[in-house]
Amino acid sequence: MVYRSAKTRIAIGSAVVALALVVTGCSSGKTTGSNSAAKTITIDKAFDLKTADPGRMYEPTGELVDKALYETLLTFKGGDVSKVVPGLATLTQSADAKTFTLTLTGTHKFSDGSAITADDVVFSLDRVIGVKGNPSFLLDGVTVTKQDAKTVVLTTKTATPALPAILANPALGILNSKVVKAHGGTTTDKDAAEKYLNTHSAGSGPYILSSLNLASQVVLTANKNYDGSDKPTYTRVVIQNVEGPTQKINVQGGSADVALDLSGTQATGLSGSVNVTSDPSANVIFLLLNQNPKISKITSNPSFVKAVKEAIDYSDLVSIAGKGTSQAPGVVPSMFLGALGASDALKTDATAAKADLAKSGYKGQSVTLNFPSDITLNGIEFPTIAQRIQSQLKAVGITINLAPAPVATELDAYRNGTENIGLWYWGPDYPDPSDYLVFTPGNVVGLRAGWSATADAGISSLAAAATVGGTDTERAAQFEALQKALNTSGPFIPLLQPGNNIAAKSTVTGVVYNSVWTIDIAALGKK
Amino acid sequence: MTSSPASGAVRTGKPARTAPAAHPFVRYAVRRVITSILLVIGVTLVTFVLTNLVPGDPVAAALGQRAAEDPTIVAHFRAEYGLDKPLVLQYFTYLGNLVHGNLGVSTTTHNPVASDLAKALPATLEIAIGAIVLSVIIGVVLGTVAAYRRGKVSDHVLRVVSLAGLSVPTFWLALVLYYVFYFKLHIAPGSGRLSSDFNTPHTVTGLYTIDALLAGQLDTFFDALSHLFLPVLVLTLYTVGLLTRFVRTAVLEILDQDYVRAARAKGLPTRTVVWSYVLRGASIPVLTVVGLAFGSLLSGTVLVESIFSWPGIGSYAYQAASHLDLPGVMGVGLLIGVMYLLVNLIVDLLYGILDPRVRIA
Repeated sequence: MVYRSAKTRIAIGSAVVALALVVTGCSSGKTTGSNSAAKTITIDKAFDLKTADPGRMYEPTGELVDKALYETLLTFKGGDVSKVVPGLATLTQSADAKTFTLTLTGTHKFSDGSAITADDVVFSLDRVIGVKGNPSFLLDGVTVTKQDAKTVVLTTKTATPALPAILANPALGILNSKVVKAHGGTTTDKDAAEKYLNTHSAGSGPYILSSLNLASQVVLTANKNYDGSDKPTYTRVVIQNVEGPTQKINVQGGSADVALDLSGTQATGLSGSVNVTSDPSANVIFLLLNQNPKISKITSNPSFVKAVKEAIDYSDLVSIAGKGTSQAPGVVPSMFLGALGASDALKTDATAAKADLAKSGYKGQSVTLNFPSDITLNGIEFPTIAQRIQSQLKAVGITINLAPAPVATELDAYRNGTENIGLWYWGPDYPDPSDYLVFTPGNVVGLRAGWSATADAGISSLAAAATVGGTDTERAAQFEALQKALNTSGPFIPLLQPGNNIAAKSTVTGVVYNSVWTIDIAALGKK
Repeated sequence: MTSSPASGAVRTGKPARTAPAAHPFVRYAVRRVITSILLVIGVTLVTFVLTNLVPGDPVAAALGQRAAEDPTIVAHFRAEYGLDKPLVLQYFTYLGNLVHGNLGVSTTTHNPVASDLAKALPATLEIAIGAIVLSVIIGVVLGTVAAYRRGKVSDHVLRVVSLAGLSVPTFWLALVLYYVFYFKLHIAPGSGRLSSDFNTPHTVTGLYTIDALLAGQLDTFFDALSHLFLPVLVLTLYTVGLLTRFVRTAVLEILDQDYVRAARAKGLPTRTVVWSYVLRGASIPVLTVVGLAFGSLLSGTVLVESIFSWPGIGSYAYQAASHLDLPGVMGVGLLIGVMYLLVNLIVDLLYGILDPRVRIA
């Protein structure tokens, strides 16, 4: 017992000494003093973050982060993505939409105080092309040339009316070429600057990167050399990886100021100290019916396709999707040029559906509906939508066999065009209707629906006309005509445009949804 | 958990120079370590084969919808991650790299998998260690009490409580406790490992509580400690349910043993009987369950980590699996396999310490 007591005394003594050492040498781990603590804003986001390197980034969380770190040549104001405005440069565009002259305004500086030059622009855009990363396709067929110290010319072989909108994507943010080159940056696939750009930023945006952990949080601090119009109110931003259900509790409880991923159901009922901004997202959920008779004889039957379009109860789907969701009138989302109005949307007509079904020769055989079982888009779960469609089609006599699979495995079948019926969504690559030409015969999504280039000459000619471009009015008319034709005879059924719900403490101002970068963090203010 | 019979003496017919015989425990330990190494190699093969049997193309999962249509980008991606090589070659390359501690590069994070796991593991360890320590203390006490009070009201209550702990889904429990303790009662902090107005302490161990103390940041230490509260509580409630049941059963078996009756008959104090006779006797089966429970805590906290935004192994595994990040999935599989083996090895060695019959068997 004596021995045990001695051991105990030694242990207690050691603990006291250790504690004393800790206390005497202790400092604060807090980031800011009490006066400036109010300048930290915490944003909850369900991460899909892979990198902060603009040349490789192409995920929603990356867009949010890089919008704060990098400026682009052109940009959008607030949530309006239908009109491009000057960013680091002003634009002059040739009538044939093949030559784009960008002149630097000269009023912006990088975060290290150095001036932004045409060399930086050429390096940044060439790097996006050269590293062969996810966003490289944005500049497919684009040649970047320096004209003088302040002017860069972008040329394309074919008309590219979407290029100005593409240039507003944060993936095309302008990098400080000297800094990036010093850390392994090149304009080829040998580029080794990603590691550096995941620990430091090298741009001219309102914030600089303080720390980045792809799994947990990104911390930004205000860029003291920022010369733009929207100087940030918050000196420190913490973007933390939090799932939707927890986001709601966090913003209600006060540990988060903004929650970006609330579903319609979660957003319902939030009030008091929390404001909710509900806008249509730019995602469109659709069904595809395979037009390749080798894949499915029945889904390639035009009368069957028509019957399915008429059998679906669109308002029922909208009602289960929750706050902010609406029926998608066409494949182009409502905030883009050329979007259809609600009156142009497909309509439910069970009687007509039964008549068309009879015309198709359908004998009651089971048709497989493939869908990604683990996708939740703006709070909408794909299995729920698939089950509802199954019951709606059953009401007119169509038997659907549901075939769910994880997205990582189902993607193969979708991209190879082997699904009979597929339930998928399209998120825009850039906010221009030309991104939706993929839904035409012989193009990417068209082929996924077994729709070959020669399948529908009428729609192909409408698509060809829309590719050429023109004034905004002309382009809007072209895309409206194209979508009306798609609704009539195409293999796609636009279903839903999910709502995007952002909850923020009532003291936070400037929360405006943008379909490219979700929110502009620098625009957030404090009441 | 038993070992093969120890080799007998060498019979050469003439006196030979014999090395001093190793202590039975050392021989036992060496055997267990060698077995574990062979099992690790087996784990790599199983992990590799299973991961590559999964239908789907990692390219489709990793690249964006447009990038995946570009043959140049796809070819570059396959070459960068070695996916253009035959499967057998990929496995041997993987094994060769493994010897140098290289687990490959994650197709999701673009970081070395070993570095990703080194960041994620301490986060999981921090809650798993807290949960297992609390669970063992509470589970042993409750299980022993239940056994001693067999058939009485307190026994029935404890059995119902332990059953409830096992039956309630952890993600549901996590959400409810988070709502109650954080949102309603304001006695727990928000999600994550630290409040957003704290800087991450300088990484030494990766355990924020320890690193904060080492950095002399007491406020960070207490903040990190408070963030451990709810995840540890949720995991503890589940594990306590498991341990209580096992301890009760093990203690009941020991209570009927003659040596325990003899100890009681000799008039030894109850405390001595419980600690020196009953619990020591029950320790082997309890230790097995503790080992399994700890392994399960290290690998099976996906949902709890998701609710509490805890960037641990579970979150990393989910992210890797959902993106068909093969190096990431293999890394996690291997890590979990190795951790199970390590825990089992430690348990086996503890058997040897606790029960001499095991090491000389």
